Amino acid sequence: MNTPPPPTSTKKDPIVRVRSLSKVYRQGDIDVTALNAVSVDIQPGEFVALMGPSGSGKSTLLHIVAGIDRPTSGEVEVQGINVGNLDESDLAEWRNQYVGFVFQSFNLIPVLTAAENVELPLMLTRLGRAQRREQVRAALELVGLGDRMHHRPDQLSGGQQQRVAIARALVTDPVLVVADEPTGNLDAKSATDVLGILASLARDAGKTVIMVTHDPKAAAYGTRSLHLEKGEIVP
Amino acid sequence: MTTWTFILKNALRNPRRSVLTVSSVAVSAALLTSMMTLQRELTVPPESEGASLRIIARNKVSLVQPLPARQLAEIERIPGIVAVTPFTYFGGQYNDEEFTSFAQFAVEPRRFRSLLVEGRVSGGDYDAWEKDRTSCMVGRDTMKRYGLKVGDRMKFRGTFYPCDLDLRIAAVFEGTVDDRGVFFHHKLLDELTGDLGTVGTWYLRVESAEKVPGVIAAIDGRFANTAAEVRAESERAFQMGFVGMLGNVAALIRTVNGVIVFTLALVSASTMSMTIRERFREMAVLKALGYKRRDLLGFILAEGFGLSALGGAVGIGGAWAAWTLLDIQRLTGGIFIVFEVTPRIMATAGVVAALLGIVASLGPAISVGRMSVVSGLKTLD
Repeated sequence: MNTPPPPTSTKKDPIVRVRSLSKVYRQGDIDVTALNAVSVDIQPGEFVALMGPSGSGKSTLLHIVAGIDRPTSGEVEVQGINVGNLDESDLAEWRNQYVGFVFQSFNLIPVLTAAENVELPLMLTRLGRAQRREQVRAALELVGLGDRMHHRPDQLSGGQQQRVAIARALVTDPVLVVADEPTGNLDAKSATDVLGILASLARDAGKTVIMVTHDPKAAAYGTRSLHLEKGEIVP
Repeated sequence: MTTWTFILKNALRNPRRSVLTVSSVAVSAALLTSMMTLQRELTVPPESEGASLRIIARNKVSLVQPLPARQLAEIERIPGIVAVTPFTYFGGQYNDEEFTSFAQFAVEPRRFRSLLVEGRVSGGDYDAWEKDRTSCMVGRDTMKRYGLKVGDRMKFRGTFYPCDLDLRIAAVFEGTVDDRGVFFHHKLLDELTGDLGTVGTWYLRVESAEKVPGVIAAIDGRFANTAAEVRAESERAFQMGFVGMLGNVAALIRTVNGVIVFTLALVSASTMSMTIRERFREMAVLKALGYKRRDLLGFILAEGFGLSALGGAVGIGGAWAAWTLLDIQRLTGGIFIVFEVTPRIMATAGVVAALLGIVASLGPAISVGRMSVVSGLKTLD
């Protein structure tokens, strides 16, 4: 049995604990190693930028930590919960409660208004209609879109759409926000706005943010950068 | 927002496609409803209260073989029989029509009166018909269809018998399950044919429904091993005998119904597949947000069911309205008296349409259920 390498963390009681995480994909007859025995700790309130070249495994690591992909081996704990032990149904509930997602392509439902898009994760909770409406309003106001609640995505700019996506990620008050290249489709001004919001989430709201990015300027908003190459974290 | 709002918005996100889908299902459902009604009209003869008390006795060899008129006296002696009349199909062509959709029967009016249980004379006078052997009694529907009135004449060219009829309308009847027939004196037919001493069939009424089997057995037994053996059967069984001759037509209609259902399934399946394929990425996002397989399955099935049910309702309602409002007798040249879209037919067509919507959605729903979030998200890039 291999001894896991020491985690790249400096504090105690991490909110995310990754141990000896490996992911191997089967492509035809060939096994492709996306992650190779990765171990890392992430503290509450950290804004971690995952960087690395294409195919380095950063998105795979993000997906597994966020519970939308399964590792081949190793463990992921978020706030003490071993994500790998959850069955699909429990994992779906866990994602709804613990994780907020921000995607590169915004991924809003085009037929719904901004408010309805933000309300989607809340429809899985026991909250009443009035409470949901209040939380949606608060989330949209937090990202500066309180006056765009009833606009559909096609009536919003790219930056505004991404802010709606951030509001959707925050509306359930998750401990973890994961963002997969959130500024990839945005102009510089909008990217700055979005990164500012993500940074303030970590700094002011105590959320743990993990962001995949290619852009060193974007990574500079984080409190820590992790570099991956060939499925391993490199110094 | 409610779950239903979400489903509705998704179902209507491509209005043109939704309208076309609903229209396709509506047309198929209307066609299915119409074909099932046609099948029913062809294979389930109308029933009446009096039919359970009536018997038709025909030649055992075949319906076209006549029976000797002398059998009347022996039949009348059988206990339990209230009335009996000769009942001979004339099969004439009215006014040289290519196809005459109403039948003409030669009967004995005095005896026939007791057999007309559920009918009533609504025009003219039954006694006048009984007294004048060149007169006839005509069903209300035929009177209406040809714009006839009491006192008018009806001429028939014989196709079955080598003689023609020229009858004066003396009475009009209605209230039976088929108010189209023309009844005239058997004596007139006898005169015109040179008194052949035969009748087509015997038409009887029995005291009570319980006595019908005994009377049937008695009639059959009375003429067993004679030159003209008789086969007696209830009016209902007699009608079903004609239905049996339509066996292939009924099978053909069932085949057409099957084709309609299959087409309906293809339309629904194709639409749902396209609809969901376009939304794979959104489904993956919903999964990421915490929606479970069963939630997505519910959304997809509800959408498919909703579109199909709406199409079914429009189609079935349209078929019902059309066949209720249209003059089916005029439309079919009198072949059909009624074309009743029964609640059972509507329910069957509705269930078929709705079930097909669900079945058609199952494939895409299962694909979405199996899809991993990561692979679903990749469809966007």
